[in-house]
Amino acid sequence: MNWTAILYAVLALGAVAVVFGLILAFADKKFYVETDERVAKVRECLGGANCGACGYAGCDAFAQAVVEGKAKPSGCAPAGAKGVEKISAILGIADTAEAPKVAKVLCNGEIGISKEKFNYVGVKSCRAAASIAGGPKLCPYACVGLGDCEAACKFGAVSIVNALARVDESKCVACGACEKACPRSVIKLMPLESTVVVRCQNKETGRIAREMCMKACIGCKLCERQCEYDAIHVTNGFAVIDPDKCTRCGKCAAKCPAGCISMPVQAAE
Amino acid sequence: MKKYTFKGGIHPLHDRHEGKTPTADKPVRKFVSDTVCIPMDMHLGAPSKPCVKKGDHVLMGQLIGEPVGGLGVPVHASVSGTVLEVARRQNTGAGLSECVTIQNDFKDEWVELKGLGNVETAPADQIIPAIAAAGICGMGGACFPTAAKLRIPEGQSIDTILVNGAECETFLTADHRLMLETPMRVVDGLRAAMRATGVKRGVICIEENKMDAVATIKKAAGGREGVSVAVMKTKYPEGGEKQLIKAITGREVPSGGLPMHAHVVVLNAATCAAIADAVIDGKPLVERITTVTGCVREPANLSLRIGTIFMDAIGECGGYSEPAGKIFTGGSMCGICVPDDTVPVSKGNNGIVVLNEKEATPPETTACIRCGRCVRACPMGLNPYRLLNLCEAGDKAQAEKEHLLDCIFCGSCSYVCPARRWMTAAFKNAKDEIMAARRAKK
Repeated sequence: MNWTAILYAVLALGAVAVVFGLILAFADKKFYVETDERVAKVRECLGGANCGACGYAGCDAFAQAVVEGKAKPSGCAPAGAKGVEKISAILGIADTAEAPKVAKVLCNGEIGISKEKFNYVGVKSCRAAASIAGGPKLCPYACVGLGDCEAACKFGAVSIVNALARVDESKCVACGACEKACPRSVIKLMPLESTVVVRCQNKETGRIAREMCMKACIGCKLCERQCEYDAIHVTNGFAVIDPDKCTRCGKCAAKCPAGCISMPVQAAE
Repeated sequence: MKKYTFKGGIHPLHDRHEGKTPTADKPVRKFVSDTVCIPMDMHLGAPSKPCVKKGDHVLMGQLIGEPVGGLGVPVHASVSGTVLEVARRQNTGAGLSECVTIQNDFKDEWVELKGLGNVETAPADQIIPAIAAAGICGMGGACFPTAAKLRIPEGQSIDTILVNGAECETFLTADHRLMLETPMRVVDGLRAAMRATGVKRGVICIEENKMDAVATIKKAAGGREGVSVAVMKTKYPEGGEKQLIKAITGREVPSGGLPMHAHVVVLNAATCAAIADAVIDGKPLVERITTVTGCVREPANLSLRIGTIFMDAIGECGGYSEPAGKIFTGGSMCGICVPDDTVPVSKGNNGIVVLNEKEATPPETTACIRCGRCVRACPMGLNPYRLLNLCEAGDKAQAEKEHLLDCIFCGSCSYVCPARRWMTAAFKNAKDEIMAARRAKK
């Protein structure tokens, strides 16, 4: 065996390694970029899905903006109250998260409840289907049910069951991506605590609305008369609840002849 | 003879004479139904405001919808009779639209009409107001208000008016029959438009599969100032505005621009005929030729009153020969599906095409095999396969950079795709989304 050849090879490689090591050591000192270590800490507290709800390019950009004081910690909805608290502690500023929100679907029109207009065959997109004669459902205000919101949700919180969007509220972080994706504005961010919601936005008069969907708000104003807190009003042909005034007593929901007001979970049980 | 054409395009139903055989030699037949339901939003632009109410007696040609806004178009009663209802209905559009339903008394009493007489001697400055008052909008399908098209804004110049008699759409023969039976109306309409805009050159463009129409139009245009006839190759979408301009004049409409930026105005042949009626007799647009074909018993070219319900028109053609799977307004390439046969015929409705259930079932979509057929077919020179990938990935910004907004939704890419991917639909969807986002920003 030729030991000298091996020795030369090791020495040559070793010398190369030393030279490059020195260059790296020099570069490390010379081109050192100072980073605020708080950015990394803030980044850890964020939602981490790059959902873009904050308006920044991603979580890294948002963390940078928060540390620089350009954005408020509460701008990150997925971080939640705990996350915002942590970030505030890291930065030593006072900011609290807004009341937690959740996406709610303002439509009851699943298959069998909302009447079908035609059988849609085509690209799987609510926007495309809705542009053909107002979509496959008779109601032009209904959830189209082809899943633009489902595709937009990065947290797996939205699903389509029986041609109607459902939100898993435990998974929803209120980033608002579904709200933006919905061509009909059927899905909306609402305070988590407002459990009594009118799940219909049909603007037509009672008779026409009823022809379109069995659970459509017919604007009968029975709920208005039931409410003791002046919280529910029929405007534009359908009832809307003011979440600030509502006490979630559920009386309107119990009285609604169309069954389009969803009850608080406790009351339903 | 030189045959004009453009780059790209396809030959749909080439072996079946573009599907036009059943109706190509059927003379236009008049059909008037019991009731008509006239939508107020037949044109591009703000919907007209109904100015009649339930129970009113209306005469034929009476104004029933007042124009609203700069792109507004008046709507006229297409029959004489009693107004049954003014209500919002679901038509082919995304939302409900106001419609006036009229019970026909079959007397066809016209309102007093005041025409300008011969198109060559009519005062040029009164032609565009006459077109506006007649409620004419593009009858090839896009429904752009014709008067607005002819009012050339300051700083723009037009040197050519093209009459689109290509009728490259599959199945349709409405314009073909029109040019064959009443060629003088088309020529008169073109002359009226030329005189109104002061343009010296007018070209009537016809595909070579309609040589009989070329002959009649040539005869009618003989001796008329500045009017010529051009024969184009039979290819889809030869009748697309931008393709037509490119084929005949060699000019390209700039990206995001209008034909007037290429110094051209394009009018459909049926629109020209309507212009002739409006200028010569003062007749508003109440009637149009529509091809009813596909799986109906006796396919025909019907002259229908605006607002005729599809069901009645199909009934006049002997009803369905098979259960209908899909009904289009317009041809099968560019046409829009209607929800059922209760929608009315509008001003831009040149065809009612019924497909049976088998034809209407789309083939299964598979993965892109990168064959590049869509690239070759695209008449706008886009890369459809690449745009679809971008649309599916949600990268609208990059798709916009690669000129998604120049897509004309002709459907050529979807037609030739061996993997049967939903290209055109996805592009329309993405374009709608981009436009909606732009509006939201404003």
